[in-house]
Amino acid sequence: MASSRDDFIIAIRSAFLKKSTQQKFSLLTLFLISTFIILLSSLDLKFIRYLKIGINEVVYRSSFVVSIPENFIKNTFFEVSEYTTFFKNYKKNEQELNQLKSNYVSSQIIQSENRELKELINDYVSSSDKILAKIIVDHESPFLKSIIINKGSKDNIKIGTNIYDQSYLVGRVIEVNYKTARVLLLSDLNSNVPVTIAPQNIQAIITGDGDNQGQIKYIKDGFSDEITQESIIYTSGTGAIFKSGIPIGRLSILKENLTSSFNVEFYSDFSQLKYVFADVITKTDIQNFNDNNPELSDLDNTPMNAKLKILEDELKIIEDTNLKFKEENEILKSEINNLESEIIVFKNKIFLQKEKIDQFDIDKKELNFLRLNLQHGHKCRRSFFNSRGFAVGSEEYKECVLNKGRINNG
Amino acid sequence: MVSLKAKGSFLRLYSWLPIIFLYISVLNEFDFNYLNLDYFSFNFPFILIFYFTLKDFKHFDYFLVFIAGLINDTVVGLPLGVSSFSYTLICIATSYLRNITIRPHPIKDWFYFLFIISLINSINYTVLTLFFSYNVVLINYLINNFFTFLLYLVFVYLFKQYLRGLND
Repeated sequence: MASSRDDFIIAIRSAFLKKSTQQKFSLLTLFLISTFIILLSSLDLKFIRYLKIGINEVVYRSSFVVSIPENFIKNTFFEVSEYTTFFKNYKKNEQELNQLKSNYVSSQIIQSENRELKELINDYVSSSDKILAKIIVDHESPFLKSIIINKGSKDNIKIGTNIYDQSYLVGRVIEVNYKTARVLLLSDLNSNVPVTIAPQNIQAIITGDGDNQGQIKYIKDGFSDEITQESIIYTSGTGAIFKSGIPIGRLSILKENLTSSFNVEFYSDFSQLKYVFADVITKTDIQNFNDNNPELSDLDNTPMNAKLKILEDELKIIEDTNLKFKEENEILKSEINNLESEIIVFKNKIFLQKEKIDQFDIDKKELNFLRLNLQHGHKCRRSFFNSRGFAVGSEEYKECVLNKGRINNG
Repeated sequence: MVSLKAKGSFLRLYSWLPIIFLYISVLNEFDFNYLNLDYFSFNFPFILIFYFTLKDFKHFDYFLVFIAGLINDTVVGLPLGVSSFSYTLICIATSYLRNITIRPHPIKDWFYFLFIISLINSINYTVLTLFFSYNVVLINYLINNFFTFLLYLVFVYLFKQYLRGLND
């Protein structure tokens, strides 16, 4: 018993302390160092933070370089599959683009309204610049859903910066280095986003399911019955972690037996991300401006105001043109009416003239018959000497007169 | 002379292949470690480290394994030191197994591997959830554990071929 325990201790001691000729460190040393590092990383010390940033910078770049061959193969495959559906996508995109153009104008108007309202309540205005960032590491881990982008504190990226794919929310920054940052995706289990469910206007919190979807983590009791399939989910802005009104996805209800679960299908496909937009925000307080305030002119000169002014001018021009078209339309309509009434008058005239012509033809025929009757009537009239004649006034008599006497067939 | 030099360089590179593979697998975003397939993932570094430390392969330096762990943590986004801790534990376990084994048997090694990776994944899960308040799906760990265990034999065969090639 004692010897087996001794053997165990010897084996353990040997495993921990024995260093082979080629090993630089004993396993005990490495074990202690790794434990020490875990403890340090749980403490938020400034020195550790900078050290971590340094390691991250080097490792992310190295990871990007090492991934180049596989990324190339992966991208080639995606490109080939994209070309097969190229025309179909083009048509679809064209339609979407037209729709978006009209949406853009309405969103511009909403933005200007929003600004006016904020000015009224003395709120702040956040002017945001979206900067394009490339994804350098997209680690498909089943445990953590995160990506590394090539923008960091140098580009004003901060912890909590919202990350977009086009205008859809993708996630937020959880770790910032000098030239890189880690983004926690919405599909991660640790991601919690306060949202509004439209059109029911229900407040909820969604979280990732660790796969490629989200799920509703919290919703007030009783409201879940009101939710319908395909409801739109966008950020509510509660807690000021995410900006309000950013579209996230659509709701899908899965009914199993008597229970139903609410899943969120994100608009953006996180597995296909190549580039994202980071929303760098600078907050500026709004003051009440009087008409005499010289700073007002500066405010007018901001790019947003200039854009709005252009849009307003454009709108005015379109309205004026519409008015002109309407006037012209009215004139043309009255002209058409006049012409139509003239046509009716002419039609009446033509009818009367036709009648006259017909009457004239009848008179002419009658006159001709009377003239011929005088000359050839005796040849056709039945009498004592002309037994083969016709009774006066009969159709045969009339025909005979017009033929200038009876036609001798024999 | 030149061909001998070239052959020597190739041999040196060939002998460092396990450690190179380890670094590629921890650095590569499309990792062997986490293939993006539903209900399928396995931990390639665990198999690699277990096998080559068990064989006491001379170019498989513990310190380099430790650094690979730090890199894996950085790439995956785990707290720094967690993977290094796991990898070091594997090294300790294999070193212990080597010391107590007189006649090695692949099946024994295989089940010992299952025990060790189960233990390490349990420790990882506990550390992440208790100390760092991470939300981690346990089922993912179990699936990962299961496939790592299953694929061990496949990789052992490939590694044996590699070692045979090195000896030749």
